[in-house]
Amino acid sequence: MSMFWSVTLNLLEGFGMTLTLFALTLLFAIPLGLLIAFGSMSKLGKTFYRKTSGSEGKEKKPFAVYPIAALCKFFVWVIRGTPLMLQLIVIFYGPGLLGYDLLPRFTAVLIAFSINYACYFSEIFRGGIESIPKGQYEAGQVLGMTRVQTFFHVVLLQVVKRIIPPMGNEIITLVKDTSLARVISVYEIIWNAQAYIKREGLLWPLLYTAVFYLLFSGFLSLLFGYIEKKLDYFKS
Amino acid sequence: MKLTKRILAGACALLMVASSSMLFTGCSKKEGDDKEKTVADIDAVKKAGKLVVGITDYAPMDYKDENGEWTGFDAEFARMFASDLGVTAEFIEIDWDNKTFELDSGAIDCIWNGMTIVDEILNACSVSDPYINNSQVVVMKSDVVGNYADLASMTELKFAVEAGSAGESAIAETITNVTPVGTQGDALLEVASGAADACVIDATMAAAMTGEGTSYADLAAGAVLTEEEYGVAFRKGSDLCDALNKYMDKIIADGSLQALGDKYNLSVVTK
Repeated sequence: MSMFWSVTLNLLEGFGMTLTLFALTLLFAIPLGLLIAFGSMSKLGKTFYRKTSGSEGKEKKPFAVYPIAALCKFFVWVIRGTPLMLQLIVIFYGPGLLGYDLLPRFTAVLIAFSINYACYFSEIFRGGIESIPKGQYEAGQVLGMTRVQTFFHVVLLQVVKRIIPPMGNEIITLVKDTSLARVISVYEIIWNAQAYIKREGLLWPLLYTAVFYLLFSGFLSLLFGYIEKKLDYFKS
Repeated sequence: MKLTKRILAGACALLMVASSSMLFTGCSKKEGDDKEKTVADIDAVKKAGKLVVGITDYAPMDYKDENGEWTGFDAEFARMFASDLGVTAEFIEIDWDNKTFELDSGAIDCIWNGMTIVDEILNACSVSDPYINNSQVVVMKSDVVGNYADLASMTELKFAVEAGSAGESAIAETITNVTPVGTQGDALLEVASGAADACVIDATMAAAMTGEGTSYADLAAGAVLTEEEYGVAFRKGSDLCDALNKYMDKIIADGSLQALGDKYNLSVVTK
């Protein structure tokens, strides 16, 4: 029995690291994701019209060059297109290999996770924002609101409601993805559990970690269900 | 459409040029390092006041005692060397697959963890003189271990080995039924659970982890396959490597390394 408790305590300590990483990643990734979402929707730039001869005589085809949007989309492509494990290795070891000072291990993990999740979040945010009918903005305009006012007072809450299910997916994935932090020696719950295999040939602590993950993701599912219910007064 | 394609092609070309130039500068820089440059690690370590030692949980070389402090042959040895430099040793448990990343990026100053000296390590790092004689041994259930004297008699058996380990290469030519696993500890677990008939691990680890009074009381070491030596790895060209070699000569001469070896039942190098 005492063995069971010492393993539980040790795993709890690792799970503390898991949860810290989870919470801080959300804290940084959500605002950053919103910023990237706005960036990739940015219409700053220029629209060129090219004359082409179509079937109905001459017509003008618009061709838009939006540098901020292009930059954001390029960034999202790179981050979503490469494994998070590789990003962890590059962010932690990269500066040292190039002769600069290293970041602390936890900071490096936090930066990698925040950037990675911000990119996924940004696409969910963009989808949510673009799904709001144009009529909502027009209604705001009629009432004399500015575009910014319309966004924050009319649109945003509707967006929040629509993106809860996909955000729930990503956030629960994040809980489990935190275990990747162990590749640069940030000791989270899976590392602690694997130590029992290396040291004593004990397999059950690793299987036991499932209980911690399940309980926490169960709690998150309930929380998302509750939030969705709370926002149910929008019938759109 | 044409314009889009042209822009896309331009971007691709730019990307390729950028990445290939990065590759080239990366290569040329490394070659320069390999040649003669001495890395002044001693000054850096003294300035930081600590020697950062990369280890894994690997009895009897590095493991935690009841108070959660690192101990073991290598842990004690590293502390002795650090205090000789006038600094303290700080131990960081690393992912063994990333050991050269850890070293080259400066996250650790040395890999000091019962590391077998092999060509791959010699290419990537500066390695100290050997300090322990080790061998690769076959471990199996103790009731059958007496039946197998050499590898030739074991060709029918299922083996488990640590992927990329010296043990894996020791049986590569003779044994066909081999399952590579993550660590030597995993390999022992494969045998204990019956998933494999035998595994090949370090003799030092087999001595500490199998037999009566250990977690694997029903396992025993049998045939000895290859002889090898342990060394400490430093960054390529690091002056710490010479410093350790000199220090080692000293403690081999005064017998204190031998005393440490006796404490952990290991065969240390005698000259």
